[in-house]
Parts: sequence; structure tokens; C-alpha cells
Amino acid sequence: MSDLPCWIAVTIAGSEMGVWMSGSKLIHWSAVLGTAVMAIASWSASGSTVRAEDVIRFGAPLPLTGPLAPEGIKQQQGYDLWAEQANKAGGISVGGKKYKVEIVYADYQSSTPRAVQTTEQMITQDNINFLFGAFGSGAAKAASTVSEKYKVPTIAAAASSSQVYDQGYKYLFGTFTPNDTLTTPLTQIIKAKAPDVKKVAILARNDLFPLAIAQEMEKSAKANGLEVVYFEKYAIGTLDHSAALSQIKSLDPQWIFITGYINDLLLARKQMVDQELKAPVVTMIAGPAYQDFIESAGESAENVTSASWWHPAERYDGKDIFGSTENFVKLFHDKYKSDPDYGQASAAVCGALFQMAIERAGSLDRDKVRDELAKLDVVTFWGPVKFGPNGQINSLEPPVFQIQGSKPVVLFPLAIKQGELKLGVN
Amino acid sequence: MLAAQIIINALVLGCLYACIAIGFSLVWGVLNVINLIHGSIIVLGAYLAWGAYQSMAISPWYVLPVAVPVFFVFGYLLQRLLLNRVLHAPVLVTLTLTFGLDLILNNAMIYFFKADYRKLTLKPPMGSVSLFHVVVPVDRLIATVLALALTGLLYLLLRHSRIGRAIVAVRLDRDAAILMGVDVRSIYAIAFGIGAALAGCAGVLMALIFPISALTSSSYLDKAFVVCVLGGLGSVSGALAGGLLLALVEGIGSAAIGPAYATTLSFALLIVFLLFRPQGLLGRKGFE
Repeated sequence: MSDLPCWIAVTIAGSEMGVWMSGSKLIHWSAVLGTAVMAIASWSASGSTVRAEDVIRFGAPLPLTGPLAPEGIKQQQGYDLWAEQANKAGGISVGGKKYKVEIVYADYQSSTPRAVQTTEQMITQDNINFLFGAFGSGAAKAASTVSEKYKVPTIAAAASSSQVYDQGYKYLFGTFTPNDTLTTPLTQIIKAKAPDVKKVAILARNDLFPLAIAQEMEKSAKANGLEVVYFEKYAIGTLDHSAALSQIKSLDPQWIFITGYINDLLLARKQMVDQELKAPVVTMIAGPAYQDFIESAGESAENVTSASWWHPAERYDGKDIFGSTENFVKLFHDKYKSDPDYGQASAAVCGALFQMAIERAGSLDRDKVRDELAKLDVVTFWGPVKFGPNGQINSLEPPVFQIQGSKPVVLFPLAIKQGELKLGVN
Repeated sequence: MLAAQIIINALVLGCLYACIAIGFSLVWGVLNVINLIHGSIIVLGAYLAWGAYQSMAISPWYVLPVAVPVFFVFGYLLQRLLLNRVLHAPVLVTLTLTFGLDLILNNAMIYFFKADYRKLTLKPPMGSVSLFHVVVPVDRLIATVLALALTGLLYLLLRHSRIGRAIVAVRLDRDAAILMGVDVRSIYAIAFGIGAALAGCAGVLMALIFPISALTSSSYLDKAFVVCVLGGLGSVSGALAGGLLLALVEGIGSAAIGPAYATTLSFALLIVFLLFRPQGLLGRKGFE
């Protein structure tokens, strides 16, 4: 709806110019305008050539406005922190010479088609050297067709669905493990700690990642002998979940699993309380990993379980620019006065991985950097990083956690376990 | 029992939809302006309620009397200073102006409040009432009653006050109203002011129910648009009928064919109405 007037405005501007200008005037002004545009373009191109000598430019297409803006802004924070640290250390070392890091941002307004256009524009006009993937599996997959065409190494900081990596692409890498690495340990914990849980209801946002993880949950539940009594999708932008929640309530499941982003999950959780829909286990992915969700949901967030690809409680001693997980958390906290979540950490580690690959390659040659990324087998503050043959990371053990006392408490993996699963979400 | 619960949910939601749409319908009906800033004004109202509760623990109910004059003045000035200048231009010009204003207001809200989603959670929560196993959340119930009250007040204003009759007169025949001595520019500004006040009040009420973010403004605008087309422009009861119809279609559709298709179903209904009953359920030429 809000997109509609954009083209209307362009149409009006075009038609009114036609009305105001007679044929010859129009040609004259078009020529002047064209010359001016070409002059500006050539000036900016020459400017970027000068800069390209001592700067490495990373393109970051992000949803900085629109419904995905909260997640996009978080990702930007991660990139910025890495760029700041890299530049503070003098830059990235390439064959003995230090290059400063510059991140070129572009807002694709939460629109996947615009993410594709923006990615192409960054490669063809902004002279970027390397790319970070667009946010989420859907946009990252769509935009990867462009980066693959131009053979630009790309690391996706927020794409987990296997459909993104099963395209046979050589230049695409991702720091999120497949979705089943989240749902399988979760199901096993519930199965072990809550044997009375027999029936599961799943409600998923009809979007690539939320739907994919819901489908993995369905598989995982069935594989563990649980009955999936409800599986439905809701449309993006849904303002009311009451009908779906009433149906779920009538089926009396012991485990309610809802996927979506913060706004969806806040609304769903509020409406669950409104409808007096209670269950021993309620899982929401991906909202509870964010501090905003915990603060906004208040007491209703208590005992909600979730899973994500990283948690500040992890303790890795990394070889990347951030070093240990603790150091990364501290640096992040110093800069943003809040604890990082997995989205921010993933963005930062993408930058750190590029830095390592470029330094190992000793060159800005895209193919050489791509080969170094493919060969990486290193521990970082994010955890052990090794990409599989399809480019997706296969070395992480994502944590499962539960909101207890308004804080996320890690239940798995055992190495960083902070507490036991509590049953009952009211 | 499930059917009763779904119907009750839909009726409550329908009244909220009507509340979202009533100001939009008034402005469209009287000024013939498709007011694209409407959704952002609703969100601004929600932020007002959220801010009052967070900083001074003032319940949204007490914010309503403040919201009415604040948003009325905001809307009045907007119309008087900006929109009146382009009112007789082609519809696309007014559409573009309100779109531009919406961009400014929306981005200003993102700048000041950030894009994060906020939630107004009353402490202690108001809970729910249960009757024969049908549960209705108290906050939604109160918001519904207030939404109906606002709708009723608008009806009375248009029906029984001098300003209301002047608004209706301008809507019916602008030229005749001018000949009768009605100050049309002023009436336009008052109508837009009332529309903005209703949108602001809707926002205050919605703050209790939906997550608050500038990013939700387009969802409110979409709903207002659909409700107006379904219910028909030109009547207060049309907005109510449109809201109830939309919520019932979404609720029953969601239960029958799945929540993923509820929105598709409501927009399919919109197309059917546009094709076969463009004046909507209760649309008339005049605004009551």
C-alpha cells in the first residue's frame, strides 16, 4: 500500500513535465540534465578509483526501513563494530600493506526485489570489493543470484535455510547452520525433561526462514514421536492471531511452537495471554533472542524457550580480530550500551572472517579470497568456523535457551549450560 | 464453543477496525482526499499513550481527552496550511502530498522512537472475562466500548451540531454550501482535524492491543482502506459495518481455510465489492 504512491509520484512528475515543456524545450533540458548526470557520475567514479587504492569496500545491502528494520539496524551495528575495530588496528593487511575498511550501506526498504537491485548496483556502480548478504534467507537467496553472476564473494550474516545454499553457488557463504540444528536439540531437551508433552501445535509466519524452521520442527517432532495436532501459516503483516490461537486452544497441545519476527511474536504472545492459552512449553523463534522482545513482552516472556545460533554466554577463544567471546561482548557493550544478540554477533563475525580470508590470500583478488574462505577452519568469538561444500557453516552447535527471570538462560550445549528447563507458560 | 469464540473475537476486532477507519472515512468522504498519513497518525497516538504510561504511569484511558485536542489541532493546521492549497488539484496531487507528509512523519517517528517494537503492558494486566468458556480480554473489551462511543459521538456531531451539518452540507454540494454562507476552507480544516483526532484516539486505544512501531502504520492504513471500501464512504455506520464484515471474513476464513489465506480472502472480497457494489455496504452520497 505504502509503495503505491511512489510510482504515482513519478508518473505525475513525468506527465507534468510533459505538460509544462514543449518538445524542443524538453529536449534541451534533457540534454542539460543528461550532461550534468554524466559529469557527476564520472566525477564520483574517479573519486572512488582514488579511494579504492587504500580502502577495501564492503557492500552491505540492508533493510534499514520497513518491517525488517529492527533486524537490519542490528546487523549494521555488527558491521560497524567490526569496521571500527579493524580500522583501529590500522586496517586489513594485504601483502604487507594496510587497507582501511569502508562499508557501503544501502537500504532496500525490507523489499526483496529491491535487495536484488541494490546488490547489483553495489557491484556495478559502487565499486565494492566484497559483499555481505541481504537480511534473512529469502532476500539473501534472491540477491545471491546477482553476486554469483559477478563472482563476488558474499557472506550472508542471517540466512539459515538450506534452500539458500543448495543452489550450487561457489561465492556464497553463511554463518548460520541449517535450521534443524536448532529444532533437533530443542526437541530432544523437551522429550527428556517433559515426558508428558505429547501434542505440538505449530504456527508459522509465511516467510522463508520462519516457515522453514517450522517445517524442521514438524519433522523433528514427528521423528521424536510427538503428534503435530496443528500446523498453519499466517500471512506477513497479520494484525490478529485470535482465530488461530482459539483453534490451538481447542486442541489442547502441551507444546506451542510459533515462528516469526519480533512484532509477530509480541502480538501472538499478548493474544495467547488474552485468550488464556497456556501450555507447559511455549517456543518462539526468533524473537526471544532479542532484548527488545524480553523487555516488551515483560512477564509474559517468562519460561518461553527459543534457540539461536549464538549467545553472549558462550566462551570461545578466537583467532579473529575480536579474540574471545567475552572481549566481543565487552567491545559491543562499550559501543552500544547493550548486550549483543546473535544477529549483531553474526554480522561482526562475517567482517572478521573476510578480514582473515583477505589477509591469508594476501590479495584483493576475489577468486583468491573466495578460495581462502572455503578453506577456513578456525575458531572465532562466534565459535568454530568451517564452511561445508555448499558454503553453509557446519561447525557450530547452536544454543537452546529459555527466558527465566527476564534473562535468557542457556539450556544447551552442555559446555555453556546455565540452568534447567522450567515448565509452564501462563 | 470454538465457533462462538471465533465470532466474538471477530466482533471485537471489527469494532477496533471501525475505530481505525472512521477518521479515514470522514476525510475521504468529505474532502475527497485519500489521506495516506492516517496510519502514521494512529501510530503517533499509540506512542503518545505509550510515552504517558512509561514516563508518568498514566493509563491510556486518561490520555484520550488529551489526544482529542492535540490531534485535532495537528490535523486542522495540516489542512489549513498545506492540504487546502492543493485540494482542487487532481486527486494524484493530494495523494502525493499526503504520501510525502506520511514519509516525513513516519521517518520522524523512526528517528525519535527508533524502529524497535514497543508494547504497552498495563501493570497489573487487565486479564480476561470468561462466559460459557468464551474468553474476551478486558482491554480489548474496553477499547471496543470506547471505539463504539467515539463512533457514536461522531454520528451525533454530524447529525445534531451546526458544524456537523455544515460538514455534511459541504460533502453533499460544495457550491450550494458556499452560496449558503458556509466557510468551506474552514469546514475542510475542521473535518480533517476531526479525522486526525479520531486517528489519534484510535492509536491510543490500539497501543493496548498491538505492538507499537512506526513500521505498522501501513498495516493500519491498509485496514482503513479496506474497511472504507467494504462499508462504504459517507456513513458512520458504514465504517462500523465494514469493520465488522472484514473482521468476520478474516476470523472465519482463518479458521476455515487457514490464517495464511485470511488476508487474501479479505482482499478478494474487496475486489468483489469494487466490481459489484462499489458504494459498499451502506455507502450513500452524503455523510449522514
